[in-house]
Amino acid sequence: MARFLVQRLFAAVLTIFVTTVAVSMLIHLVPGDPVQIMYAQSQGTTPEQLEAVRERLGLDRPLVEQYIAYVGRLLQGDLGVTIRGEQPVLELLLLRLPNTLILAASALLIASVIGLTFGFIAAYKRGTWLDTALMTTAILGVSMPHFWLGLILLFYFAVQLGWFPVAGSGFPNLVLPALTLGLTNAAIIARLTRSSMIDVFDQDFVRTAHSKGLPKAMVLSRHALRAGLVPIVTMMGLQFTYMMGGAIVVENVFGWNGVGRMAIQAIFQRDYPLIQGFILMFAIVVVLVSILMDVIYALLDPRIRH
Amino acid sequence: MRSGYKSLAISALAVALGSQAMAADIVWARDGDIDSLDPHRATSTLSRQVWYQIYDSLLEFDDNGSVVPNLARSWEVSDDGTEITFVLHDDIVCHDGTPFDADDVVWTADRAIFGDHPSLTKASWGNVISVDKVDDLTVALKLEQPFGAFVPFMADQFTSMLCDSNADAADFGTGSAIGTGPWKLDSWSKGSEIVLEANTDYVNRGRPVDNPGAPKANRLVIRAMPEGQTRVAGLRTGELNVIVPPIQEVKSLQEDETAEVHVAEGTGQNMFLQFAVNRPPFDDARARRAVSHAIDKDMAIQVVYGDLVERQYCPISRGVFGNDPEFCQQHDQDYDPEKSKELLAELGYGPDNPMEVILATWTGDNRERMLQMIQNQLKQVNIDVSIEVMDIGTLNARDTQENNKAEGPGYMDLMGWTWFDPDLLYLLWHSPGAYEGFHTPELDKILEATRTTVDPAEREKIVKDAFRILLEEAAQVPIYTPGWLWLYAVSADTPGFKIGPFNRAQFSAMEAP
Repeated sequence: MARFLVQRLFAAVLTIFVTTVAVSMLIHLVPGDPVQIMYAQSQGTTPEQLEAVRERLGLDRPLVEQYIAYVGRLLQGDLGVTIRGEQPVLELLLLRLPNTLILAASALLIASVIGLTFGFIAAYKRGTWLDTALMTTAILGVSMPHFWLGLILLFYFAVQLGWFPVAGSGFPNLVLPALTLGLTNAAIIARLTRSSMIDVFDQDFVRTAHSKGLPKAMVLSRHALRAGLVPIVTMMGLQFTYMMGGAIVVENVFGWNGVGRMAIQAIFQRDYPLIQGFILMFAIVVVLVSILMDVIYALLDPRIRH
Repeated sequence: MRSGYKSLAISALAVALGSQAMAADIVWARDGDIDSLDPHRATSTLSRQVWYQIYDSLLEFDDNGSVVPNLARSWEVSDDGTEITFVLHDDIVCHDGTPFDADDVVWTADRAIFGDHPSLTKASWGNVISVDKVDDLTVALKLEQPFGAFVPFMADQFTSMLCDSNADAADFGTGSAIGTGPWKLDSWSKGSEIVLEANTDYVNRGRPVDNPGAPKANRLVIRAMPEGQTRVAGLRTGELNVIVPPIQEVKSLQEDETAEVHVAEGTGQNMFLQFAVNRPPFDDARARRAVSHAIDKDMAIQVVYGDLVERQYCPISRGVFGNDPEFCQQHDQDYDPEKSKELLAELGYGPDNPMEVILATWTGDNRERMLQMIQNQLKQVNIDVSIEVMDIGTLNARDTQENNKAEGPGYMDLMGWTWFDPDLLYLLWHSPGAYEGFHTPELDKILEATRTTVDPAEREKIVKDAFRILLEEAAQVPIYTPGWLWLYAVSADTPGFKIGPFNRAQFSAMEAP
């Protein structure tokens, strides 16, 4: 297990290294002059001033030097300041990251509970009307855009029934966005659970367990479910990062103050320091989540550990 | 039908979940957040609207858009127009309890003009040479030469007066802001909301609002909510009291008894077309005129905005000094597609050889729809338009880039500028110009004269000379006013909301629900 973890961590460090290279070079991919874009809003900036900014950002130095300087600043926790309003990037990211993580985690919880239940029942009742009904619902769920479902929930639960506030921060505000994100993703988990469980139900060890005369509930939970969960857990890791992406739309609809919403705005505004910080942070989160998933995977499936 | 039990359960749930707004709050939702609390570090309308609540300026605009005293009870311009002296009221108190006096004015102006990190809008101050405290209540500013737009600029949010105690705060602009305005900063949760508290010591010395003192509500909460439908939903549930409505919802809100739609007038905003003039085809005035002749401007704005905007004929907006629609109509291009086709034929364009151009604008306020209208109309005269919509900052940079490119398809954009004075034309078109685009030696001279001429009648004549050139050359094709963030939907149970001139939302007289 230790060796396995070390391997994983090494891969993680490598991934983050590649990300920092890409991120530090991002500014050079901008069509046109990035400094000109940064100062598009200020009146009467002289060419000398623009030159001074280029120098300050080190844009006139060789790429390798630029990269080293960038990593040097990163290690000191300095991600620069935003172009709009000159605010420290790290602070803005850290302020909002928890909101997105909370939203994605709540949505994953909702998606898992519903998805696993639906998928398991559908697999168990394979070929019955219940299976068809559950899977049709799932297809509807997969096909439903976040934006649309979000507005529907908003109008029904917030405007008509008045159960939840329309937008803002805090627990009551979390319910509707988490449901929106969770319901659409539950469908994906449900479909995967069903096919995975069907595979498992057909396998010899399940049949053996049944023929040994073990109680049905025990076969399903101890034998079948544990084996069937392996691919689903991997999927959930992917789903979590996917939800952090999907959170962008949902955050917009419900005015949830997360990083996704901020990233979209930063991209529209060509706020490079903020975009760079966001990509780096997102990469770190994805890497951490995948390590966590690998560990869980290994715990569930002893073959992987060795 | 809802049973008694059920509604009881629902209201219990609603109470348990609670809404964060407290009893005497006004909640104002807009599509985005401010960039900074520091008036020297941002330029967006979203930021300016908030600064106006926290800070006062030396002067103010009254309902007619005329300059009136505010923090300064009087001002005097020397005969040669190069020295301006302001005398302050003697009882002004900053939000932190310190007195507001000449030191604060000097600190603010020094910071904006002479600091190592001067204001983004430093150029609008003109050529200020020195800012001096004469006595505790008197400040004198010296200019290198007379500057006709200086006095009204002292009523703008870019010259918001900051208290010098801000110097002690490391987080001024990002976490703290001390001014003298009707609302005090309580907190700013970036990207989410700004909470302002009523300044109970406030004395209204010049704001055009029906309240001589402190705001009636306890707090003003300003939320960033990007999705328009969500803002409307919030207004309907009573969670929000003032919103920026999506254009397509305005009609239903106007018919809704629980809401009122306020349309800002005299905003100073101009929506106009401008061109990349340093390469073909728009280096030739005939190509620019052809575009202008081909657009049925009245029809386009009627379809997209109905009565929510007005046709704009002059290069500066209605309500701004020098605006004269009759004069401007004599020099602009009427809707005349035939004339347009003739001009295009002269340049070698026609059905077999359509002119290909890019038409850009910035996101929001249904402007994309406006571009589609223009695209359709230009199609009629064989101009093929491709539309690009981007963030305002990107658009600003793009315009400059396009003016510096020698190659590529024709480029034009629907741009918006707002200012309270024809000095806008100097900022836009005096060489090198805001976007390094259209300029001529003759126009440069005229625009210089608009700055140095102080006599109003004389200045008006010169301003019109500038209009004539810009319109006849079709360098700036005015279309409509206002153009952005000029609509407010307000819940009917919170009376007292008002929009002053230049789109300044006034909340002092507004009652909380």
